[in-house]
Amino acid sequence: MNSNIGADVDDLVDLFENAPCGYISAAPDGRIMLANRTLASWLGTGSEKIVGRKFIDFLTMPGKIYFETHFAPLVTMQGAFNEVALDMVKADGTRLPVLVNAVARIADGGNVRFIRITIFNATDRRRYEKEILEARAAAERSAAALKDLNATLEEHVATAVQEKIAAESALHQAQKIEALGHLTGGVAHDFNNMLAVVIGGLNMAQRRIARGALEDLPKLLEAALDGANRAATLTQRLLAFSRQQPLSPELVDANKLVSNMAEILASTLGEIIQKETVLAAGLWRTKADANQLENAVLNLAVNARDAMPNGGTLTIETANTHIDDAYAAEHDVAPGQYVMISVTDTGCGMPPDIIEKAIDPFFTTKPVGKGTGLGLSQVFGFAKQSGGHMKIYSEVGVGTTMKIYLPREYGSDNAAQHLRDDTVPRGSLSEVVLLVEDDASVREVHARMLEELGYTVIAVDGPIAALATIEKRPDVVLLFTDVVMAQMNGRQLADEARTRRPGLPVLFTTGYSRNAVVHNGVLDPGVIFLQKPATLGDLARKVRAALDI
Amino acid sequence: MSVIQRNNVKVTSTGTRTLLFAHGFGCDQNMWRHVAPQFENDFRIVTFDHVGAGGSDLSTYDFQKYATLEGYASDIVEIGQELGIEDGIFVGHSVSAMMGVLASLKAPGMFSKLVLVGPSPRYINDGDYHGGFTQEQVDELLEFLDSNHMGWSQAMAPVIMGNPEQPELSEELTNSFCKTDPEIAKHFARATFTADNRADLDEVTVPSLILQCAEDVIAPVSVGHYLHAKLPESKLVLLKATGHCPNLSHPQETTDAIRSFVGAE
Repeated sequence: MNSNIGADVDDLVDLFENAPCGYISAAPDGRIMLANRTLASWLGTGSEKIVGRKFIDFLTMPGKIYFETHFAPLVTMQGAFNEVALDMVKADGTRLPVLVNAVARIADGGNVRFIRITIFNATDRRRYEKEILEARAAAERSAAALKDLNATLEEHVATAVQEKIAAESALHQAQKIEALGHLTGGVAHDFNNMLAVVIGGLNMAQRRIARGALEDLPKLLEAALDGANRAATLTQRLLAFSRQQPLSPELVDANKLVSNMAEILASTLGEIIQKETVLAAGLWRTKADANQLENAVLNLAVNARDAMPNGGTLTIETANTHIDDAYAAEHDVAPGQYVMISVTDTGCGMPPDIIEKAIDPFFTTKPVGKGTGLGLSQVFGFAKQSGGHMKIYSEVGVGTTMKIYLPREYGSDNAAQHLRDDTVPRGSLSEVVLLVEDDASVREVHARMLEELGYTVIAVDGPIAALATIEKRPDVVLLFTDVVMAQMNGRQLADEARTRRPGLPVLFTTGYSRNAVVHNGVLDPGVIFLQKPATLGDLARKVRAALDI
Repeated sequence: MSVIQRNNVKVTSTGTRTLLFAHGFGCDQNMWRHVAPQFENDFRIVTFDHVGAGGSDLSTYDFQKYATLEGYASDIVEIGQELGIEDGIFVGHSVSAMMGVLASLKAPGMFSKLVLVGPSPRYINDGDYHGGFTQEQVDELLEFLDSNHMGWSQAMAPVIMGNPEQPELSEELTNSFCKTDPEIAKHFARATFTADNRADLDEVTVPSLILQCAEDVIAPVSVGHYLHAKLPESKLVLLKATGHCPNLSHPQETTDAIRSFVGAE
């Protein structure tokens, strides 16, 4: 039994000395009476060096202060404190992070017998706490940054959008300038070639006249005229692309129009390209400017030819079609019935990115000077201006189909027979034409041309002089006026003139028409219009038409 | 907000003369609970909490005002004015001893006697002056306070934030007399341990009692002697009590010392 008690005491002593925590028993005045081996080993000293001192002797200075001012009072007033984090100082001067519990043991009389202090090694815990504190600080910084970002998000987005818009605008501007470069390059080159022909021909003619050798004259003048006509055609194309050309829509039978083009197509396409025509029976009528439609078909045919340098088949086809709502919405065209004219080649075809740009103004796959990049855009411009649509289908290595859609025209079935009129009707000296033109050289040329046709001409440089002449000369039978002039435009002049001379025939001319004569690109009904520059034949026919109404 | 509510002022007895008890750094007016009641038969007893401690109104805590002991001293003067204290006796523990000195200078006639328990006009050594702390030790304390890891909040965290394992215990501790906002505690410690009120001692005219504890790490005996030498009509009593809080650990010895001083009049 005694040995058992001894064993029990040994066991308890062992439990006390080697417990996983430090134990201290202190007198009420704080002096340590007992300390276990665990604490002594943690502090790197012996228990005997701990006994007799005070607990605060083993604390850092901040710990001493807080223990004296906060924790010691807690023991006195509440009898205990729990889990207070402190640093103890080891024998070698290093720190031991600890968690400390203390409880006052009270004797029967109510006095404090001793204070039990329990000390846990908090090295690991303190490290975790440090990590948590750092993580929390980092999270708070992130949250603050996020909050800040959120607060300014709208501003960031607005700025980004502004920057993108500005960048796109700059790009768009650059593309426009590049396109203008292509245009001016192409146009200037073509124009120079034409002017070379004109100037060269006229120079040669001058020299022949000077030395009286007149036999070559007609050939030289014809060459010069040809160059000038080609230049006129080019300006016409420029106007067409800008969708500002004056159109004279009329009822058109596309089948007849295509059939009538057989000859010109044959000469354009050459011998290595086989031409096929598939014309739909019962094709609807459409309303369009027949000359421009011919030009458009010719344009497509030339493109098709250029896509088949080694030969192939070109097919021109007509058909009645219907554009449904879905397609219409997608392609910016009104839904409904259309007359379709397509030109198909068996050439090299175009990849999708080229198709996308093919109808862009000035886009060309040809080298600078070889093409103006206006061909397809001219066709597209014409189709759109005529209330229609143009579509390109192409497969690389297979071929391309270009389709022009023109709105179906209901009503009168009597499509005007469109034939090129090459007659040059003449006038007489009794027919007095009042020519109003502010450009001296144009005035001079038009006056000579009218005289050549047999008319009597009174040429004036503006509306004021024109109105004065009308009052003085009751024999004037035709007002032939430019549209764009400084004091008043041709339309206003015509109106003024007609208040003085009701029913006076008027022929307008301009190189570039504005709304004064052209509304929505279509001439006002009854207005007779001559596009500048004009050939003698054009002028003769228009003057005659105006006089013979 | 009245001064009474702001400082949680308690008047527990009536009397012709007033004994005003001020607590020091750490805890609140409960520090006087074993001493103040012993004077209730003879004096009007007033206890209070400094703003930031105990039951004071934390919303009135002004970090600028309470950056120095002057701010606390002006509160004491306001309490004295509110209660009409004249010819009273100021009893201040720890850092409040110096607040009482400042208050007596601000409001002559309010306190005719000062009882200074564990006082110190400056904690940091300065030449021949031995305050008990080196500059480095106070720097360490201030770093300790500033560091979230090793600072006050950590030392007090289990007490203040509670113990999830023993909610009933943490509730009791949280509601204990020692509850303190960590930021305010830091600020109070800084104001206390960087203060130097030695020059103010020359202005004091009223008699004072200095109660000096044995083995006080915060106010060593040398500081008690210094004060005794500087203050006119001062009496130095070396207590047997050890530590910094004789009002808690040795209330009877403390009470007797105060009674012999105030009763000697």
